[in-house]
Amino acid sequence: MTQKGETNRYDLHSRRRRFLGLDKDQALKGLFGGNALVSIIVLALITFFLFKEGVGFFGQYRQDIELHRRSGIEYVEIMKEQSAAFTDLNRYLNSIRGEHATLLQEQGMAFKDARAELKVYEEFIYAFEDLGYPVSEYALEMAEVAIGARDMYEESANLREHRENLLALGRDEEAADVEVLDVDLSLFVGMLKEGEADFLALNDALAAGLLSHIEKLPVIGIDSLDAKMQRFAELSRMFVGELEGYESRLAEWDPDLPVNMVSAFGSFLFGKNWVTNSSIQDWYGILPLFTGSLLVATIAMFFAIPLGVGAAIYVNQVAKPAEQNFIKPYIEFISAIPSVVIGFFGIAVFGQFVREVSGWTILSGFDIFPISERLTAFTAGCLLALMAIPTIFTLAEDAINNVPKSFKEASLAMGATRLQTTLRIIVPTSLSGIISAVLLGFGRVVGETMVVLLCAGNRIEIPNFTNGIGTFFEPVHTMTGIIAQELGEVVNGSIHYRALFMVGMVLFLISLLINYLAQKIVLKYQISRG
Amino acid sequence: MTLLTDTLKDSAISPKATTSMSSETSDPSRPLIRVSDFDFFYGEKQALFDINMEMLENEVTAFIGPSGCGKSTLLRCINRMNDLVDVARIGRGKIEVNDADIYDPRVDTIELRKRVGMVFQKSNPFPKSIYENVIYGLRIQGINKKSVLDEAVERCLKGAALWDEVKDRLDTSGLSLSGGQQQRLCIARALAVEPDILLMDEPCSALDPVATAKVEELIHSLKDQYTIVIVTHNMQQAARVSDKTAFFYLGKLIEMAKTDEIFMSPKNEQTEAYISGRFG
Ligand SMILES: Nc1ncnc2c1ncn2[C@@H]1O[C@H](COP(=O)(O)OP(=O)(O)OP(=O)(O)O)[C@@H](O)[C@H]1O
Ligand SMILES: [Mg+2]
Repeated sequence: MTQKGETNRYDLHSRRRRFLGLDKDQALKGLFGGNALVSIIVLALITFFLFKEGVGFFGQYRQDIELHRRSGIEYVEIMKEQSAAFTDLNRYLNSIRGEHATLLQEQGMAFKDARAELKVYEEFIYAFEDLGYPVSEYALEMAEVAIGARDMYEESANLREHRENLLALGRDEEAADVEVLDVDLSLFVGMLKEGEADFLALNDALAAGLLSHIEKLPVIGIDSLDAKMQRFAELSRMFVGELEGYESRLAEWDPDLPVNMVSAFGSFLFGKNWVTNSSIQDWYGILPLFTGSLLVATIAMFFAIPLGVGAAIYVNQVAKPAEQNFIKPYIEFISAIPSVVIGFFGIAVFGQFVREVSGWTILSGFDIFPISERLTAFTAGCLLALMAIPTIFTLAEDAINNVPKSFKEASLAMGATRLQTTLRIIVPTSLSGIISAVLLGFGRVVGETMVVLLCAGNRIEIPNFTNGIGTFFEPVHTMTGIIAQELGEVVNGSIHYRALFMVGMVLFLISLLINYLAQKIVLKYQISRG
Repeated sequence: MTLLTDTLKDSAISPKATTSMSSETSDPSRPLIRVSDFDFFYGEKQALFDINMEMLENEVTAFIGPSGCGKSTLLRCINRMNDLVDVARIGRGKIEVNDADIYDPRVDTIELRKRVGMVFQKSNPFPKSIYENVIYGLRIQGINKKSVLDEAVERCLKGAALWDEVKDRLDTSGLSLSGGQQQRLCIARALAVEPDILLMDEPCSALDPVATAKVEELIHSLKDQYTIVIVTHNMQQAARVSDKTAFFYLGKLIEMAKTDEIFMSPKNEQTEAYISGRFG
């Protein structure tokens, strides 16, 4: 018989105390869930912000390229391209003289005599330079017209916007004071086009002059140099042949050809130039930065993969506990060094060291050595390797450690050596883990900023990949470096500002991809282990 | 070459020799493994006390005893797997395989382990194909000739009574097999290097009765060619498969005799208590 007041053992209703209608479990769940939610929201906001700031870029860039066309700058650039080709010829000619001069110097000829000897070139070169002069002058003049037109157009657009802002604020009187002149770009382009006949005449004169000039090719009397002279004549003839191409491009050029979004896109993703604050035209092509980042990362991984993975294998499979207790914290300690300190070390010590080593006589067999630059992709790559090693080491060591001990025992019990066990069982079993460690190390390297900014040399140019190993010793600029360097000085909301956000976005997508791949691989790894 | 391999090579105990000659011609009671006055320590803690025993050629010897009494420890001493344990050390005595002291500093553990194979309690096939699992021991010896490997796979899988079940899927992962099949795969893998001795540490403890029966049958058939030492907690199993049984207690060898003698008329009280299940 159950008495009143005595609790019924079969009353299964919860008796836990409640807080805001939640019991303790639910409250805790809410708390942690809330934390997770906040971090997700913050992440989403950051992503959204990146997109918002970046996406406007393509519209602006398209307009920019369109203005570049409509103001005729594009037209003038064709002429400039032709002038540049002529300048190349000139440079080649001068290099022949230079070579001759070196030769004479090596023969121990006195300076005065050498000068006399080189006299053959003088007239020929001066006359040659004079031939190109009218055309390049003309191109410069036209460039001034086009740039002037573009600047006026932009100025008036700014003023118009200013006036509209004033009107919107209701300050009509001030607005009336703002004088906006309508700039008709077609007027200027008409001027350029009118002059085309003059340019063609100049070109014809240039062609005729050039052809007759190379008839008077000086004979030097040194076979190799004479061969070069012949080559020069040939190049000149080729140049004359190419003139027609430039001319037809000028003739076909149409200022009203619309610039679509795709070309803005292409110009960003595949553009070979990143030029900012130029008086002529700014270009935002990510390729030089992307290849720079890639080159630096490749160098870094070249060193970091063998060192990081090797150290992981050693520590996990070979090292005695005492060694483990020393090596592991030591390598992990490297990652605690602030990157700016590593960068500083690179500038102050390492870059200098690399240059010095490149001057050693053992390396004189490579004609790219000694190198002239102190800060190059190689310098930055080596230092980044230092930063990637702890990441790769730690993750790879984890992966290796996850290989069941029974595999190792089974292998050793069959009479395998330690090395065989490591290479045939441990590494293959943990390979996907090691690969994802490498990928994450790569991500770390691509995303690193301070070291590349300080040590990569910051030359915005696509590395010359035909240079062999010399490629690795060129100064480069990187995607992260450019953001850090330029974001501080851009005007908020300007196209340059947005371009930097787009670069950030590309970086973001790269890391996303890398992380995704790493996770995919790890997943596969878990499945294959049953 | 090492001392051990020389001795092992000189003698006529390779599996083929024994099958052809059968045990009548050679001395049937030739001890292949001899443990003398053996003390063993993990750090400060002594795990084995003064063990003296002999395991005869082509016999199955079972180790029984309560948990923690040192069965696995002794087993792992016979192929020096205990070298992997940092704190492990021998206090006194020696272990001889085929009259060669295996703890002689000149002995190469690699060579020793090729002669003394081991099957573990938990089946541990490599995450490789069945084929690669079996020939692992040959590959590490640098044998890569396809015909030799093919032949070895068939012979060993047949030897481990697994051939019929897997012959059509040698390329699938060894991990895709059932627990019992995995254990037999591990036995096949151990057979591939043609050892003289097989050490088995509770090979059936994770298997169901059907799979256990298969492995026991297998042990029975392997007896002609191999000398087997098996650790087991299953009294019936010991009675079924072994010729000799050794009972351990607290790191000491209490009694060792023919299996039927131990089970019918144990001389030691503790042995009797353990066998009849009245222990502890
Ligand atoms: N690696 C090791 N380090 C330290 N002590 C160990 C180690 N391996 C075993 N021991 C100890 O040695 C003793 C014997 O262990 P062992 O594994 O040989 O027992 P066992 O008879 O095989 O037991 P079980 O039947 O449970 O497998 C135990 O007291 C154990 O705690
Ligand atoms: Mg055991």
